[in-house]
Amino acid sequence: MDDAEHAAPTYGKQAFMINMQRRTVRPWKLAVVALAALWTQAVDAHHSFGKFDMTKLVTVSGTVREWTWANPHTWLIVIVKKANGTTEQWALVGSSPNMMSRWGWNAADIKVGDKVVVDIHPGRDGTAIGSLQTVFLNNGKVLADPAGSTGQALAGGPSQLPTKPQGQPYK
Amino acid sequence: MSDMATPRFQRTANRFRRGSACALGALALWAHVAHADDTATPKSAQQQAQSWADIARLPDFWQGTWQSISPIADDFSTPPDYTPSARDYIQHYKPAEDSPFTNCKPLGMPFVQNIGGMPMKFFQSPGMIALYIESSGMTRFIHTDGRQHTEQPNPSYLGESIGHWEGDTLVVDTTGLDRDTVFQMGRDQRALVQGDHSPIAGVIFGPHGPNLRIVERMRLVDFNTLEIQTTLFDDTVFNQPYALPARRFIRGIERRNEPQEWACTDNRDYLDPVTGKLELNVKDKAENR
Repeated sequence: MDDAEHAAPTYGKQAFMINMQRRTVRPWKLAVVALAALWTQAVDAHHSFGKFDMTKLVTVSGTVREWTWANPHTWLIVIVKKANGTTEQWALVGSSPNMMSRWGWNAADIKVGDKVVVDIHPGRDGTAIGSLQTVFLNNGKVLADPAGSTGQALAGGPSQLPTKPQGQPYK
Repeated sequence: MSDMATPRFQRTANRFRRGSACALGALALWAHVAHADDTATPKSAQQQAQSWADIARLPDFWQGTWQSISPIADDFSTPPDYTPSARDYIQHYKPAEDSPFTNCKPLGMPFVQNIGGMPMKFFQSPGMIALYIESSGMTRFIHTDGRQHTEQPNPSYLGESIGHWEGDTLVVDTTGLDRDTVFQMGRDQRALVQGDHSPIAGVIFGPHGPNLRIVERMRLVDFNTLEIQTTLFDDTVFNQPYALPARRFIRGIERRNEPQEWACTDNRDYLDPVTGKLELNVKDKAENR
């Protein structure tokens, strides 16, 4: 991780957003990050990854029905309108609010009724569940879930953020 | 230990229910005896000032917080000398689809030190070191006033911890652990070569004995690195005490690394009692806590 990040005395929301805009991320870098996330020892073991296919990344778009900022996990419930006109309710589990707040998340970032685009690792069983990876808000803010990060990355804050969804679009 | 304590409590409770004068008398005597043991006198201002001065010279565990950089699971790469019953347990062990984290119960010692993800912070005052572990929202109290372990500590999730300094190393001795604390007994190395990225792949969780004793040696490797080497003493599991490789933690002094509240209030993971598989309660909030 970036040493400069470690030395930064504060890591407020402002600084986070400025850093985000400054960064451009090349696809190969994302691949490296994704691989690192897979192969380094994931740190959030409150969270079982058994339910989710961590090798798959899917992008779901929809309207927020519920956003619960609670331990041990945050939950983002999204109503997704499918191409055939039907709707589905997706239950997306995130990391602990404690870990997320250190990566620039604020409980107030997401509100019921917001339109969101979310990269997720989908459930293995084909039901509408997923493990959060990245949330793209309408105001341009991008929030990465720290699940699976190293201790160094958790202490240092996120250093690589995608600017647009990386998953296979869910229709 | 805890088994032996239960009948006594039951007896006392039964007597009390009967409400005999004799029982009340016995209770009063018992209370008197318990108090007689507890004769603390406050330190003078001068003694207290001296204690703080002594503390100031100790290695600096205190600035900022410590984030684990070691894997959650211990790898048990040196095979432990298991007791026959532990060997049998391991032979028949079927890894649960998930982990013991399906409710809001605390992990307890020793696994609470493994879990990481969130920092921990040391505090100190004369006679005691406190270690707040954010990932469970719990604080370990480590007595450094030179006391011995109580003969029969009541079982608890973090146990009874007594610490002393050996040079620059804080040695913490813990007993009195609840039977329910999460305990890694070993690791199935075969499970690791399959590329499973789960942090607890291959972990063999199992019951520890009532006399589990944990000795931790904590020291600074350098200003930014803390090392904790743990040795497990449990003759129901290991014929010889088992020394785990040291775990490492990095110091964080930025505001984002300050300790936060952690309260488990909304756990939607649960183990299906029929299939034994981990499920998510995605329909109702916090049905299974």
